[in-house]
Amino acid sequence: MTGVRDDRAGRAGEIEIDACTKAFGDTVAVDDVTLKIPGGEFFSMLGPSGCGKTTTLRMIAGFETPDAGRIILQGADVTRVSPQKRNVNMVFQSYGLFPHMTVVENVAFGLKIKRLARDEIASRVTEVMRTVRLEGMEDRRPAQLSGGQQQRVALARALVNRPAALLLDEPLGALDLQLRKEMQLELKRLQTATGTTFVYVTHDQEEAMTMSDRIAVMNGGVVEQVARPRELYQHPASAFVAGFIGVSNLLSFRVDRREGDTVVMDLGDGQWICATSGADATSGPAGSAMITVRPEWIKVGEADLNGRDSRVRGTVTDVVYLGSVTQLLVLLPTGERLMVHRLNDQVGGLDPSPGQVVELRWAAEHSYVIAGAEAQGAADRKG
Amino acid sequence: MDVALGTSTARTQAPRRRSRRGAFGILFTPVTLLMILFLAPLAIMVQMSVVRFPPATDSGYTLSHYADVLTNELNRTIALNTAFIATTSMTVMLLIAIPLAYYMAFKARRWEVLMLVALVLADELAPVVKIYAWQTILGRNGIVNWAIPGAPVEWLLYSRFAVILTLTTTYITYTTIPIYAAMKAIEPSVFEAAVDLGASAWQQTRKILLPLAAPGIFIALILVYIPMLTDFVTSDIVGGAGGGTYMMGQRVRDLIYQGVNWGAGASLNFIMLGVSVLLALVAYRLAKLNRMEP
Repeated sequence: MTGVRDDRAGRAGEIEIDACTKAFGDTVAVDDVTLKIPGGEFFSMLGPSGCGKTTTLRMIAGFETPDAGRIILQGADVTRVSPQKRNVNMVFQSYGLFPHMTVVENVAFGLKIKRLARDEIASRVTEVMRTVRLEGMEDRRPAQLSGGQQQRVALARALVNRPAALLLDEPLGALDLQLRKEMQLELKRLQTATGTTFVYVTHDQEEAMTMSDRIAVMNGGVVEQVARPRELYQHPASAFVAGFIGVSNLLSFRVDRREGDTVVMDLGDGQWICATSGADATSGPAGSAMITVRPEWIKVGEADLNGRDSRVRGTVTDVVYLGSVTQLLVLLPTGERLMVHRLNDQVGGLDPSPGQVVELRWAAEHSYVIAGAEAQGAADRKG
Repeated sequence: MDVALGTSTARTQAPRRRSRRGAFGILFTPVTLLMILFLAPLAIMVQMSVVRFPPATDSGYTLSHYADVLTNELNRTIALNTAFIATTSMTVMLLIAIPLAYYMAFKARRWEVLMLVALVLADELAPVVKIYAWQTILGRNGIVNWAIPGAPVEWLLYSRFAVILTLTTTYITYTTIPIYAAMKAIEPSVFEAAVDLGASAWQQTRKILLPLAAPGIFIALILVYIPMLTDFVTSDIVGGAGGGTYMMGQRVRDLIYQGVNWGAGASLNFIMLGVSVLLALVAYRLAKLNRMEP
């Protein structure tokens, strides 16, 4: 099995999901999804429950067969190949450890099935036990291990087969927050150390941001955006992504005029909101659209920012002190509320109080126009 | 501080004392009934098996009944008959119950409860009614021979086949339910994990399903195999006259009822009890060994 990686050096660990669709009864779980995951990448599929991320993962593993489309693993079409014969391994949400076997028996299971030589099995198991830091636990039963240790056994049991890709289905869901944070770093370390492609399914955006090279944000069976974590945060492609990754303000927007790649909505009285527009951003009816802006990019009562910026006055309605930041809710003349985060970087800094009128500014490149109709729907759902 | 502590311990101890008295109160009646209705007759039976001329209790004590019973050629034949019939029935039942329990636990979904109810209802029928029903089905003029063209098939009824078939249908509920219960406790994802690691259907069965269902299988052995050793109704009604179906339960009954041979009947009874206890202990030990730590 080790040969596979060398034989197809260029495509080792590469996964292609080519226009896959999968329905269960009347429900379309995965709708024409296309993804290309290069070998050695830590790739996450992120989205709320029912968004199709787990079904997509199970199609890669072979537990589900797509109704249409192809799954290509290291250049070979495996759409109709049984899960037993696919060179990928899965880590299940509930681990699926064999309760009647010791840790070592669990880990060696796959290699024994493949009828590897006994000393080969022994050396691989020893190696992987060291990699996941489970030395000394060899003869325990799963029930005698903590949640985190069980998680490591599940990882070891999959990794020992040296799969082309490791598929992880919300593997940290059952752990408490502290342990989850530790295991996130551990997983990233393992992925870097082994160079294996990791395909990671989660509904936790922070988890995905912490570990992933790239993230596919999914919603309603569709991939909304595939990007690196930073890009996903700074340039969300849809209202859904903007809302799902971190906190974001969504404002309705009317294009009054255009200045280069910047669009402006005039509010009169020396107030305006401007935003950077994408290629087809103003394609909506009558130039209406939605824009996003992150709460931390909005400045309160500061001098001119460099270049083009939005300027708008509003009334503070709520002030919540959160420690590192203070969260303000500001009522705009448009009737919408804007969430603003003020960084508490000075001792004794004074926050505005409710009722006070403040001037807000943010740079044009910090607002993004999101296409019309779809964005409107997402905004309604959010409300 | 001390005062507060003292009252709190007093308060926690009080209900425990009351519940202990309660436990005695609850257990008093059943224990007394058990002594009178079960242990007393058992004691009389023990006495019958060791007095020289039962039921005369003043005739002196001897172990000769045990020696006679054990050396009797006929008893050995009957024991082999019984073991063959019970073991074959048990094997057939396990071959049916294991796939059935698997189907119910993992595949039946909305039919699961219905199947469970059907199994329980099948057991609710009076055993004698069920056995007579088989007589109607398997007899010379029965349903099967009516359906098969040609001369009636004789070995269907009054044969080992009939006894095994009837025992199997009588005890299938008690074989299936403990195995089903053990399988129900298996996390379904272990099967997907095994598939993911390359295991075929047979490897999943042998390495995952059977070891995890083993406690249920051994419980089924205790619940079913041992009662079959002492069953006499089945063989009475559907067994043949040839002797090939004459079972230990019938032997003991006949010794005491017909021969009024208390000594042989009672001693044979205790030997069978000993064998049963031994079998139960072995099966229990295996079930416990195979049970996982919680």
